[in-house]
Amino acid sequence: MNRNFDRIEVGTEITGPVFAPTRQTIKDFCEASYDHNPLHLDDRYMEGSFGKTQFGGIIMHGMSHFSLMSRMLNDWLMPRGGVHKRLETRWLIPVKPGDTIQPTGRVKLKRQTKHGCFLMIDIVMTNQRSEIVARGESMAEFPPAAG
Amino acid sequence: MTNPQDAPPHLTETDFWKHQAIRKIWDQIVPGEPIETLPHTLQLEEIQRLCRAVGDLNPLYFDEAYASKTPHKGIVAPSYVHILLMFTCTPINYYMRAPGTINAGQSWSYNVHARPGDTITLQARALDKFIKKDRLFVIHDNVFFNQHGQVICSGRGWTIRPE
Repeated sequence: MNRNFDRIEVGTEITGPVFAPTRQTIKDFCEASYDHNPLHLDDRYMEGSFGKTQFGGIIMHGMSHFSLMSRMLNDWLMPRGGVHKRLETRWLIPVKPGDTIQPTGRVKLKRQTKHGCFLMIDIVMTNQRSEIVARGESMAEFPPAAG
Repeated sequence: MTNPQDAPPHLTETDFWKHQAIRKIWDQIVPGEPIETLPHTLQLEEIQRLCRAVGDLNPLYFDEAYASKTPHKGIVAPSYVHILLMFTCTPINYYMRAPGTINAGQSWSYNVHARPGDTITLQARALDKFIKKDRLFVIHDNVFFNQHGQVICSGRGWTIRPE
């Protein structure tokens, strides 16, 4: 049905970009996203507590993770004729300036429907201590015309 | 782009404390009630500023000559453009700007690409709210459309509300 889809095997690993957030990259993301929440800018505010949570300093935007995962998916899928259709993420551990993070993916399922060919991809974002800081799940489609 | 002095405050205000008094808190959010939204004409510079902020230099977002030869037939915005649209399409009093709003998770489905020059509209609401592990949660439901009425993307988000 789709040769590009047929060539991809369950278990295929995908490696995404390494990203090292700094105060400047977080500030740049604030400006690019119009999201100037003090969580990402105000050290004094972040010394306080948030109910049960203490961050102890500014944190990277959750949507920074999201865009890095998306970048990995788009860059891997486009040359293969695939289309990024969905991404779900959960953030587990805050990322701070000085951390280094990288998303990786693994094809976990291939599924053909009446009109389409779909992949499900599991994603983890790890930091320099190999801790999983976010998880994601993606769905990609391989349109028949592209195969 | 509008001159900075003429631009509306939701595009220029970087002090999220300033309008805090007019934003709904968790107690006042009514699940199911549509929120006020604003149409936004997406600028090429906005697309590219977001891409650069995540180191995404794919020529599909930067190089018209390259992009015009792809099936997209021109520069498009990356899938994750809803990150900025969430703020360009909502007024200054939208509670997503409340300091201390914490993202717990999001899911987005993609249909057609947004393009520079598109006039983008948002239909949005809080879908649900609840208390879990002593935290105040809201589930958000957001759908972005282009000027042709096509869905660009639809998303669901979980936030923990500040107290």
